[in-house]
Amino acid sequence: MNKNLEIELPSTGAPLLQAESLLQAESVGKTVPGPDGELTLLEDIDFTLSPGQSVAITGPSGSGKSTLLGLLAGLDTPTSGEVLLDGKPFSKLDEDGRAVRRGELCAFVFQHFHLVNDLNALENVMLPLELKGAASPRKTASHWLQRVGLEHRLKHFPATLSGGEQQRVALARAFAVQPQLLFADEPTGSLDHANGGRIGELLFDLNRESGTALVLVTHDQQLAKRCQRHLQLEEGRLFERSESSIESLAEAATESSAQ
Amino acid sequence: MTNSWLRPWRDRAFQLLALAISIAGFALSSIILLHAELEQRFAVRTAEMLGGELALTGTRAPEPAQIELIKTNATATVVDFSTVLVLNDELLLVSARAVDNKYPLYGQMQIASGRFEGTHAVQAGPTPGEVWVADQVLDRLHVQPGDELNIGQKKLKLSAVIRQLPDQSAGFYSMSPRIVFNQHDLEATGVLGPGTRITYRQMISGDAGQISRLQKNLEPTLRPDQRLEDIENAAVRSMGPLKQLTLWANLAVLLVSMLCGATIYLATSERVAHRSRLAGLLRSFGAPRRQIISRLLGSEFIAILPASAIGSLVGIALISILRQSLDWQGSMAATSVQWLTILFAPMVLWLAFALPRLTALVRVPAIDVLNQRNKPKPLSTNIELTAALGAPVLLAGFLTSSLADLGNLLALLVILGAGLPALLWPLLKGLDLVSGKLPLASRLALRRLSRRPSLTLPLLAALTMAMAVLALAGQTGNQLLDDWRSRLPEQAPNHFVLNLFEKDFDTFNTWLEKQEAITQPLYPIVRGRLTEINGVPVSQAVTKEKENRNEALNRDLALTEAADMLPSNKINEGAWHPAKNTVSVEQELADRLGLRLGDKLLFITSQGSINTEIASLREVDWDTFEPNFYFMFAPGGLAEQDVTWLTGFWLPTGDGKRLAELMLQLPHITLLDVNTLLNKANEIIGQASAATALLAALLMLAATLVLTAALLGGQAQRGRDNALLRTLGGNRALLYRVTWAEFITLCGCAALAAMIIIFAALYPLTAQLLNDNPTLSYWQLIPLLIGLGVAGVGVLASRGALRKPALSLLRDEA
Repeated sequence: MNKNLEIELPSTGAPLLQAESLLQAESVGKTVPGPDGELTLLEDIDFTLSPGQSVAITGPSGSGKSTLLGLLAGLDTPTSGEVLLDGKPFSKLDEDGRAVRRGELCAFVFQHFHLVNDLNALENVMLPLELKGAASPRKTASHWLQRVGLEHRLKHFPATLSGGEQQRVALARAFAVQPQLLFADEPTGSLDHANGGRIGELLFDLNRESGTALVLVTHDQQLAKRCQRHLQLEEGRLFERSESSIESLAEAATESSAQ
Repeated sequence: MTNSWLRPWRDRAFQLLALAISIAGFALSSIILLHAELEQRFAVRTAEMLGGELALTGTRAPEPAQIELIKTNATATVVDFSTVLVLNDELLLVSARAVDNKYPLYGQMQIASGRFEGTHAVQAGPTPGEVWVADQVLDRLHVQPGDELNIGQKKLKLSAVIRQLPDQSAGFYSMSPRIVFNQHDLEATGVLGPGTRITYRQMISGDAGQISRLQKNLEPTLRPDQRLEDIENAAVRSMGPLKQLTLWANLAVLLVSMLCGATIYLATSERVAHRSRLAGLLRSFGAPRRQIISRLLGSEFIAILPASAIGSLVGIALISILRQSLDWQGSMAATSVQWLTILFAPMVLWLAFALPRLTALVRVPAIDVLNQRNKPKPLSTNIELTAALGAPVLLAGFLTSSLADLGNLLALLVILGAGLPALLWPLLKGLDLVSGKLPLASRLALRRLSRRPSLTLPLLAALTMAMAVLALAGQTGNQLLDDWRSRLPEQAPNHFVLNLFEKDFDTFNTWLEKQEAITQPLYPIVRGRLTEINGVPVSQAVTKEKENRNEALNRDLALTEAADMLPSNKINEGAWHPAKNTVSVEQELADRLGLRLGDKLLFITSQGSINTEIASLREVDWDTFEPNFYFMFAPGGLAEQDVTWLTGFWLPTGDGKRLAELMLQLPHITLLDVNTLLNKANEIIGQASAATALLAALLMLAATLVLTAALLGGQAQRGRDNALLRTLGGNRALLYRVTWAEFITLCGCAALAAMIIIFAALYPLTAQLLNDNPTLSYWQLIPLLIGLGVAGVGVLASRGALRKPALSLLRDEA
């Protein structure tokens, strides 16, 4: 696998990191108007992620995982507190400013893949490279599709790819821009067990090889266990889980699936 | 469940669909009603010209058995013949008409109490002992109301001056002036001897059913000299504006149906995309097809009903207001079938355009829920296309029952409307292939368009049709108005002078200058009778039946010569005066007499005869207020004949003394006042113009609606695309550029196709509507402007999609 990485990649223009913490949330909160007044989704979230570090965020449905991911990725803005990216204010930028910063440093993998249906696999991977103004988007995209094992599917449109293949294209699209930070929202949530396992494997391999920091939102405790840190969201608050509690959770999950 | 019919209204796609149905209801109801009003006016006008809905004409009185058949209907009888009035050594050939007390069945007679008095309308003819005469009789015989005139052996009192009879044919001057008296006096005149050429005309009124039954019963009883004419086959010349407007309204029905259909199709596509998940869920819960139909389609149908009803009601209200403002009397003209059509037409459109798409919901497989797929497979494209193209055609045919009139245009629109987007498709694909070197925004826009045929092609077709219709409606509507205006310019001649001699010119011109009248060219007139065609006497050359129909053979004709053709005339065959001694003949008369190019004609005149050869056949517009002639000779063709002159002039309104002064100076001339005819024509044109403007506005409204639907149609997909671009780091400027490029390309292609349609459709359209060749005008470039405008509005309308939060992808709202 490492052999592929020996190809000299064209630069995608990713800036070098300047701060010690790559992503930082300071007392972040989010409320939305509800039928009985303000509804608090997230409260007092403090969180720091170093370059290259991986963190899993788990929690029951409705605990606010996707909301937190949206805030951290600058897709939404907090109602209190602040998010910093590479030591610089991120959540306080306007939408365009956040989009540009995101394009420079981040990439995404979604549960439902979100490939552009009318672009083929190669063009889907090229898209963020073209947005960044990368030098040889076609060459880079081909390389990454080869890296995820889809070199024979370059001209295929999403509708003709299986779920697992679509998520591979999404992974290639994410890593092609050589991001400093990858946000993954339930990346195996739409796949069967075997495919999910393979995609998880590929995700962590690519992550390790690229030295990318990872924020992974998942229900999959096995996947969460592979991250360096594990945060648990409960009723809008974030708790750091210790190694032992993760193990016991993983065991419980394994037992329940065995039954 | 109580508010299940309200639920669909929460969906924007449904709101648009409902709006389209409302506009369809509004446009169709107003056009159907307007069409019915116009048809009725057209029919009344034709009936006025014919004297009734049915006319039985013969050289003898109808048989008792025929009278028996007719007696249940309202009838009026006139007896027409030519006779000579003699007074103080003056002889005057007149067209006499003896009328019964029922005459006229339709319309009114316009009469005046003296030569230069104002005109007023009356409903019944002269009483026994009275005679009414045309102005010329007063001038030629120097008589005035109150005097007595001898018609044959009967002395009648001259009691009024005739200005217009309702069934007066379009030629407003005649060599033989008209007189009218009561049938009660007919026998006493003793003029009906064996040699007199008489026409008995029995005019009958009744509804369509009665007339058709009567016609069927009368046909077998007709004598060889008798013929039946109904409104359909009446040899009435084109009714000008009314006829054109009726055609234009037919076209409008068709186009509005197509445009509203296109909107319904686009809005339904969006609606189906929104509802397919529910359909899949119902399927996965085990709902049978029947249940899905009743739950999804049933509620859709019920929810659409109020939209349809509101639209129709607004249309009905609009026409009521229009009727009031145009002072159209009586109850609405629409028949019960037309009212039913108003009620159901929008639903027919919905069934044709929406149902094939909606039925896709029934076929959504449960697995699509698991696959998160939200685009159900459509029914066969062919079925959809056939339904979508066939529905408005059938509907329009049903509504207007005059597809024959518009057949070629219709075929053209359907072929081009459906075919052009398909032809443009390779162009879009080609652009995509060579887009590698284009900027990113253009590339993305091209890919969005060229790789979503199911979204782009209907959009392209709808935009193309809407643009073509807007431009065609604008151009033909404008041309119609121009055409009408040019027929009746503000200072159209309102008086005509006949029997002018060359020695009168100085006196006449001095008088004209004094009155600040606006003059027209002078035409030399020679009275002549056509006697031989290619050396064969007319009586043998033309069959008896044809001869009966041709007044031209039974009377003196006004022959003229002219170097230039009249502007409103058009050569259909041959050339305008290629040699001396040639003549140009009016087309309809030539057809009736069986005349062809090269035929040799002999006319007998007071000075001998004229031999001539037909060099051209000419189409004449009888509705213009300028002199028209059946026979126009090449210059010199009337040399050495007794020539008098004819001209027209416009006289500003003022008192009748001015004309009396002219008559005093030139007592031998014949002066015709056509102000009454002119006012009537002006009134018709005014109403037709208002109706045209209304129809054009309706067409434009429908076209705008299609454009709106087209713009809103792809918004959901555009929103998803933009959210993803934003997530991947695309800034707002890029999203705007992509959206602009997408709309400019789409609208550019549509404008191109629309311009092709306009150029192709303009020829049959102008030939049909205006009887003219198309002219180049700025209207043909309108699609480009519309395209630019639509692109701008499209980008503005896409602001919502541009602002679609990237977060929606995480929440799977897309």
